[in-house]
Amino acid sequence: MRRNTIMVIFCVLLASMSARAHHSFSSVFDSKKPITLTGPVTKIEWANPHIHVYIDVKDETGQVINWAIEMGSPNFLIRLGWTRDAMKVGDVVTIEGHLARDGSRLANARTVLLADKKMFAASNQNNTP
Amino acid sequence: MHRPFAQAVGIIVCAGITLSAQWRVVTKGVPMTPGGTPNFEAPAPKLADGTPDLSGLWDAEKRPCNEAASVRGCLDSLTGNPIAFGNISATSSNTGPGSKDLLPMQPWAEALVKQRRDTASRDLNITRCLPLSPPQVWSTFWLKKIIQTPQSLAILDEYMSQYRQIFLDGRTLPKDPEPSFKGYSVGRWEGETLVVDTIGFKDDLWLDVVGHPLTEQARTTERIRRVNYGTLEVAITVDDPKAYTRPWTVTIKLTLAINTDLLEYICNENEKSVQHMVGPGAK
Repeated sequence: MRRNTIMVIFCVLLASMSARAHHSFSSVFDSKKPITLTGPVTKIEWANPHIHVYIDVKDETGQVINWAIEMGSPNFLIRLGWTRDAMKVGDVVTIEGHLARDGSRLANARTVLLADKKMFAASNQNNTP
Repeated sequence: MHRPFAQAVGIIVCAGITLSAQWRVVTKGVPMTPGGTPNFEAPAPKLADGTPDLSGLWDAEKRPCNEAASVRGCLDSLTGNPIAFGNISATSSNTGPGSKDLLPMQPWAEALVKQRRDTASRDLNITRCLPLSPPQVWSTFWLKKIIQTPQSLAILDEYMSQYRQIFLDGRTLPKDPEPSFKGYSVGRWEGETLVVDTIGFKDDLWLDVVGHPLTEQARTTERIRRVNYGTLEVAITVDDPKAYTRPWTVTIKLTLAINTDLLEYICNENEKSVQHMVGPGAK
């Protein structure tokens, strides 16, 4: 069941991060700057036009930095099986995505891994999201 | 693992999982095949008076992405379901000889489209959470619900919870309608096809996500036909001498969406992207 839930999230993200945005990917994010972020969820904004999840991530010096993660819109995620309580504050997640071009602590999410150590890799990340 | 195989496995796995977790609503009255699957090829339904019934929840057709024509690239290639993402000039090739993927624009309109492309469509109406024009509604990925009566046809657009009304009661177009995002529409039946004439647009609307304009001088004629139970075909003729050198037509296909409903999408509820738009040419 747990595995199924994570796969749903993974697939939801694959489907939603591509064409379901209200802006072009390249206007905000840089496909040449992939990033992986791990940390506990501090806040979830389940709202249009994009869900935002905030996570605390320790950098190499041990300093905790709060990152904003942009995801798809609620309606498309719901249709693919996502629920608004699939991720909760305190859950440790790993986000695979791309950095914002403006240097802010913002990334989009291509994949999400919840806390059971199971990794899921995207089957195709060679094209512009 | 070879990439195509890995992609196929990924798609199949995702399809299987998401199907098992799909929306809990089951659309009633869908014709079924002997094998128990929805029969989208079944005949189009009709109202009691015999006119075709266009009612239903419709989605832009998933189609191979024309990368050469799509300035945004093949956006949905991750899922294996490429979508042209509302680029109306990439939707169809019947815009005329020598203009397979380019609309016959006036010079100022061509310059405008180029400027919008160069600035990453920073001012895209969708990014700015402004309403869609009728052609844009047909071609974008938000679902639209048609509710039809003998007197009128309503199109409910999931994007921004918008509506459009098409009058079927025999009235004629007004001489000077109040300019609006949706225009003023009247329709009549020509056999199995609903022919809808629309005027009264606001100036400089977005025709599609690429930034083709639609102006106050525009008159559109939509020929809407339900090809079968699961397919809607909309041929849109745009006659807008201010923006285009001649009338042109594109045909957009839509597919019936079942087992789901319209869901609220209020774009400016929590818009945070514009402040980060520093992509190529965005400033």
